[in-house]
Amino acid sequence: MLFGPSAAFPAEREVRCVTCHQNLGDKHEKIISDFKGDVHKEAGLSCNDCHGGNPNTDDIGEAKSPAAGFRGKPSREEMPGFCGRCHSNPQYMKKFNSALPVDQEKKYWTSVHGKKLKGGDAQVANCASCHPAHSIRKPSDPLSSVYPKNVAKTCANCHGNVRIMSGYKIPTDQFERYMKSVHAEALYKKGDLSAPTCNDCHGNHGAAPPGTENIMMVCGQCHAHNMEFLKQSPMAKPWSKNHLHMCVVCHNQHDVSKPNLEMLSGEMSLCLRCHQVGDRAYQVGSAMREKIEKFEKDYHSQVHLMEEIELKKGMDVTAADDAILESKQALFKARTTVHTFDPQKVQQIIEQGEGFLKRVKDIEDKVLREFWRRRIWLGLSTLLISFVIVGIWWILKEIERPK
Amino acid sequence: MLAWLNERLGVEKALEWAKHKTVPVHRGTVFYYLGGVSLFLFILQVMSGILLLMYYRVGTDSSYESVRFITTKVDFGWLFRSLHSWTANLFVLFIFLHMFSVFFMKAYRKPRELTWMSGFVLFCLALAFGFSGYLLPWNELAFFATKVGTDIIGEVPGIGSWLLKIVRGGEDVTGATLSRLFGLHVAVLPGITTVMLVLHLAFVQIQGMSHGDQPEKGKTMPFFPNFLLRDMILWLITLNILAVLAVFFPWELGKKADVLASAPAGIKPEWYFLFTYQALKVIPGKILSIPGELVGILLFNLAGILWFLVPFWDAKIPEGKRNRVVNIVGLFAVLFILAMTIWGHWSS
Repeated sequence: MLFGPSAAFPAEREVRCVTCHQNLGDKHEKIISDFKGDVHKEAGLSCNDCHGGNPNTDDIGEAKSPAAGFRGKPSREEMPGFCGRCHSNPQYMKKFNSALPVDQEKKYWTSVHGKKLKGGDAQVANCASCHPAHSIRKPSDPLSSVYPKNVAKTCANCHGNVRIMSGYKIPTDQFERYMKSVHAEALYKKGDLSAPTCNDCHGNHGAAPPGTENIMMVCGQCHAHNMEFLKQSPMAKPWSKNHLHMCVVCHNQHDVSKPNLEMLSGEMSLCLRCHQVGDRAYQVGSAMREKIEKFEKDYHSQVHLMEEIELKKGMDVTAADDAILESKQALFKARTTVHTFDPQKVQQIIEQGEGFLKRVKDIEDKVLREFWRRRIWLGLSTLLISFVIVGIWWILKEIERPK
Repeated sequence: MLAWLNERLGVEKALEWAKHKTVPVHRGTVFYYLGGVSLFLFILQVMSGILLLMYYRVGTDSSYESVRFITTKVDFGWLFRSLHSWTANLFVLFIFLHMFSVFFMKAYRKPRELTWMSGFVLFCLALAFGFSGYLLPWNELAFFATKVGTDIIGEVPGIGSWLLKIVRGGEDVTGATLSRLFGLHVAVLPGITTVMLVLHLAFVQIQGMSHGDQPEKGKTMPFFPNFLLRDMILWLITLNILAVLAVFFPWELGKKADVLASAPAGIKPEWYFLFTYQALKVIPGKILSIPGELVGILLFNLAGILWFLVPFWDAKIPEGKRNRVVNIVGLFAVLFILAMTIWGHWSS
């Protein structure tokens, strides 16, 4: 009996594996159907490229013979090497994508997962735990398990599972906490795919919890200025000495909340976790908050005025775009500079920003003068046209007056 | 001078004809001014359009920038840009009013069938002007509204996908669409419109003003100067209104179109296309197993053809007599357009 090649497989690579496997029940049918969207299938690979064997025969013995290099289904322990056979081979991978890294397996063995697997714990995550076999998609594909918006859910499959995690004595609430964070808000609500998810802090193939020493480096990958300021601040040494986790002291770990000025002073001040109201450290926080708040208020009132001029008065204020952007940058910079814990440095940045706000105000004043000039000209021309209308009306009445 | 011109062109004959040209005076006389205002708005469109054309540079990298330049840097550029946009809207509005007043006064009846038909073509041309000009600033709103608008063209049975490619210059709204609509807006449409307008005005002059359902030998007034002076007063009032609109409600430029961005919420076409858009939106997905949108498009086309041919299916009624069916059809059209436009405006 002859069977045609399945649509899941490239026509030029006629594989007989499907001939038998498509009749072996739902599980096998699902594998064949899943493989239609697999990145390996897109690259022109087929069953035998991973599992070995002879795909050109209907004879099961011949197809799965050791002579034909049949490897079958790998065990959990064999999985990294099974994938690494190709993915760790630069010469082979170049054929498909020369930019693709080939260190995944190497990194995996340095990860907590890899170390535990080597130690005999087969329950830990292996390649297929994150990249489901037969339905692997590119990370840029929204259907992929490692697409930025799907990463946290993929990790939570194991890390949110109390049964699986019970043996490791680690919490299982990371996913719930992460979803409340400012990072998750950026990723899911604002759709910013560059916003951090699990692998951006923990690494992917070399996944490990960041240690006390390098947690600042992890956050500093994106928040570079904050890291530099904090490193040079008077808090760096005592925190390090007391084994406090730097950024985490104020911002927490997975549930990193959106920072605000209330973190510096007042009832919600984070300084109060270690300091007292009125002490020197608290006063530093209060001084920084006061300066930034005043500048923020000035900045917003100028932005509001610009919007009013543009949207309500219909005037062009694009000449102030650069200056308002600079003052916005100064506001961000001032907020970042709080990591120096030095009110003088914050003041310097704010003074620069105030200079830009002054420039914005000058442009707004000029535009407003032009706005009134337009109305005066409009009034005059309308008046002139109205006189002409009255004149024509008068002429008309004269013409139509009964003689 | 007059004698010199008269010897060569027969100006006196034309003046003599003008002296005897009259306009009927009755309770519907006010509607006679709508055509004149439409003509005035068209002239303003041409003049402001020519001024804009001096600085406008078509292209995805230059359209938005040049309009922004016109609005912000060119002397009185803001005024002419706003004037052009507001005039366009008033132009369409007055054409609608002019067309419906002619319809209800039955001014399309014999011998004015060609005047009505040329007027209907001018109405379609005005809508085409609006549609093609809307994309030219290449801003976000215009981009997505054009996308939605041209999607409807793709639904035309048989030739839809072919037509869509012709209009868009490809599968999607791109720089090619912009170039096409620009060419259409500043060359093709003005050319055809000028010819149609000359014909339309010639028909009006040859046949004179319709008396509608008023007696043929009723009261009249001379066209020169009585009617013309009244016309001028209205033109000047319109100019004043336009100046106030342009200064107090300047036409917003918005953000530059980003072809990769997702459409902003609540994107809608211009108000004069809103009734068709809303009707197609609310029509059921399937009507007798035919896609609802397709049925809607076919019905709109059928209605357009019937509207165009009204002088022929209303031909049996004697001059001056009412045709109840025509009145009901006209009233339904007005109510349908108003209801769908209001619904479309308020719906999300």
